[in-house]
Amino acid sequence: MATTMRIAAQRASSRALAQMVQSRGMATEKQIFNQIQSTKNISKITASMKMVSAAKLKGDENRLATAKPFNLWAQSITGEPKVVEDADFSELPQKTLVVPLTSDKGLCGGINTFITRSVKEIVKKTSEEGKTVDIVVVGDKGRGQMRRQFGEKILVSATEVQAPGSYALTSTLASEIMSVAGDYDAICIVYNSFVNAAVYKQVYKVVTPFVTEGEGESLISYEFEPSTKSEILNDLGEYLLSSEIYEAWMDGAAAEQSSRMTAMENASKNAGEMIESLTLQYNRARQARITTELIEIISGASALEG
Amino acid sequence: MSTPTTFWRLAGMSYLQYVNKASAVVVNALKEPAKSQALARMEYSFNKSVWEAGTQGKKVPMKGA
Repeated sequence: MATTMRIAAQRASSRALAQMVQSRGMATEKQIFNQIQSTKNISKITASMKMVSAAKLKGDENRLATAKPFNLWAQSITGEPKVVEDADFSELPQKTLVVPLTSDKGLCGGINTFITRSVKEIVKKTSEEGKTVDIVVVGDKGRGQMRRQFGEKILVSATEVQAPGSYALTSTLASEIMSVAGDYDAICIVYNSFVNAAVYKQVYKVVTPFVTEGEGESLISYEFEPSTKSEILNDLGEYLLSSEIYEAWMDGAAAEQSSRMTAMENASKNAGEMIESLTLQYNRARQARITTELIEIISGASALEG
Repeated sequence: MSTPTTFWRLAGMSYLQYVNKASAVVVNALKEPAKSQALARMEYSFNKSVWEAGTQGKKVPMKGA
């Protein structure tokens, strides 16, 4: 009678110990196993996303390679794109329309956050000099991030843009921008520039409308025919904006894919490390369980003998 | 503004509209399969919404080929 009570007490205490461990919040073997399984699934998804991004990056790089020479003439007019980092934006005129190019889809690393930060810099530095900016945001992620800080400055937003872009897309975007850019002195396009598969940087370019007569007349060393210069400059201005946005768009798309590739690779690596440490925990929990069972059996057997 | 002399302005089109229409005509002159590939490349779609004092307006789908 005493021995059976002793066995029961020992069994109860070991079970109570196991339950205490559970209720204290330390993961049981089953919970760790579930965690390992879900982390393995996630690492499969991130690995496949990385493959998809790598394939898409190839296409985007090819499109960028054709877009750059397409836009070379425009760079001789507006100058090369300038790096946002440590820029003072002093060349921006009194009223600027800022056009940040962001992505619609997430899981792309930091590209959209960097663009939002660049726009914040522009707003800060121009307001210090008494200038004003308004924003036409392209991309859902940028819209979401900028609506909190610059909601009143946003004029138009363009979201759910079908990828990949084309000249037809960017000329439509340019037309939309020009329809609201009536009384702005310049348009500042902010976007990510693709450097290589691991590096991208934020750049901006300022597109000013042509001055048709008076001082500062644009393209003064050229003769224009057959139409009048002012008409041609109107058309050229439209084409200039669409060409600049086209190159910026292709650059930004390549940067987005490279950033997504890097982000997914890091996610897979972190998931792999998590799986390793969880597996060690799981084995420890499994061995603890087996030891507990052995103790139960042996103490039960020794109680019977004794 | 003086009366325009270029025919697209007289028709009420902007230069970009004219250029895109002209390139669509050129693409339609291609032979298959280049034609359908080029036409597929010219498609675009996005949603535009006008913002009023910090609130987003209704989304207007813009589409084209």
